[in-house]
Amino acid sequence: MTATITLGKRALREAVRQPDALFMTMFIPLFFLVVNTGQAAEIFPSESTDFLEGQGYGAFQLPITLLLAASFGMAALFLVEEIEGGYFDKLRAIPVPRYSIVLGRLVAEGAKGIVLSTVIVLLALPFGITIASGVFGFVLLVLLTALWGVVYAGFMQLIALKSRSAAAVNSGGLIFFPLLFLTPNFVPRDLLTEPMEVAATANPVTYLMEALRSLVLDDLDWGKILPGFGVVLALGVVMLVLNVRMIQHYD
Amino acid sequence: MQENGRKAVLAEGLVKRFTGREGDVEAVRGVDLEVETGEIFGFLGPNGAGKSTTVRMLTTLLSITSGRAEVMGTDVAGAPDEARRRIGVALQEAGLDPRQTGRELLVLHGRLFGLGPDQAAERAQELLALVELEEAADRVIKGYSGGMQRRLDLAAALVHEPQVLFLDEPTTGLDPASRLTIWDELRRINGHGTTVFLTTQYLEEADQLCDRIAIIDRGQIVRRGTPQELKADLWERRGGGDEPTLDDVFLDATGRTRERAAGEVQEVMA
Repeated sequence: MTATITLGKRALREAVRQPDALFMTMFIPLFFLVVNTGQAAEIFPSESTDFLEGQGYGAFQLPITLLLAASFGMAALFLVEEIEGGYFDKLRAIPVPRYSIVLGRLVAEGAKGIVLSTVIVLLALPFGITIASGVFGFVLLVLLTALWGVVYAGFMQLIALKSRSAAAVNSGGLIFFPLLFLTPNFVPRDLLTEPMEVAATANPVTYLMEALRSLVLDDLDWGKILPGFGVVLALGVVMLVLNVRMIQHYD
Repeated sequence: MQENGRKAVLAEGLVKRFTGREGDVEAVRGVDLEVETGEIFGFLGPNGAGKSTTVRMLTTLLSITSGRAEVMGTDVAGAPDEARRRIGVALQEAGLDPRQTGRELLVLHGRLFGLGPDQAAERAQELLALVELEEAADRVIKGYSGGMQRRLDLAAALVHEPQVLFLDEPTTGLDPASRLTIWDELRRINGHGTTVFLTTQYLEEADQLCDRIAIIDRGQIVRRGTPQELKADLWERRGGGDEPTLDDVFLDATGRTRERAAGEVQEVMA
């Protein structure tokens, strides 16, 4: 555990020293928040749109913004860079548990996710978006977003460990990325066309998004919040098992 | 040279087989090695001969297909963490984290080897002085020259005072001045009792530094001994004449001639 935290601190320092990457992680999701809200706010006025629960369309879009920001983690790309540059082998030659090498980066992604999601929510507040579930809901919102960031980064790390190639990691991102959009990201699930509704229902990210949305728009609705945490925890366990297996057998 | 009769490095019948789409490739084919405690051992061979693969097996970075290896009496495959505590590793291409400063990297390694924060900082300072990087200590590594990176890599391999230091082509790509600096540091480190296992393509380097050498070709050891023994052996087999150099020994051991080697160079240049 000590090695994991030591390596996590290093990964955080690395992220801070790459401010351009952090800027893009914030900028692109906020850009989509502004653009999507600007395009659809007139179609869904808050006064006559039930699913907005009295808030503006920006509040409905906030969860996808948070998920996008959490999914822009650089952990896998930094890992590939380390594998290609030889530092990864240097770390493997140190008598620390091998899993700490990959978990350290995930700890850093979690910390980064907490800071980024907090900043995004704070930036959204002056634009009339409120967190209807209160302070506790805000904490859950930030926590759930950060956990998703860890899970997503973990799956990207698997691609990095398997392929040892930056190109493959980028392509892997393109494969996973559509999952964020096969969700009820513009309207609630029951307003989607049937094929989209089927796809969204089968997509675990949908439950995560609905949990986040519920925290923004509703009071604490555990019927929607718990499935979101359930999805993240289940995917997290799978991701951790695969990461540990992969690093233990890395040759 | 020996410490309680224990070899610094011992390999018996070491084999590494890689399985690819085009079938199996045996990169290392039954290598036996014995490195005495306190010596500088040179491991030479042409490109692709199996040097790096052997070093990676000895340093726990690559699984062993068959055979066995020990470092200071510790089984490399059976107790890899114990083996890692006894070795320091600087591989081909200085593998460093470019976004850390030299000092941060050494402190990080100290912490990972179990030193407390103060101890790690103190050790980092000692090593920065040893490799003459004190002035650059708080600059990010990305801005270091090739020679500075090699020296820092060497320092990182020494953080935990290893008993055996593995260096895989530590001077490849360096200018002559940087190379001489590395040689001096290796002699100094060896003078403190650390066994050095060195792979190199520079025969002059092996001749200058190594107590004994082994030459590997196509995955098998083809010569072993002190540089003087190997030269004398070739001189005898040739029936006298000019005293052979280590280059001649290398070419003879790998089945090449100067003419053929020159031809290969010309072909590449054409």
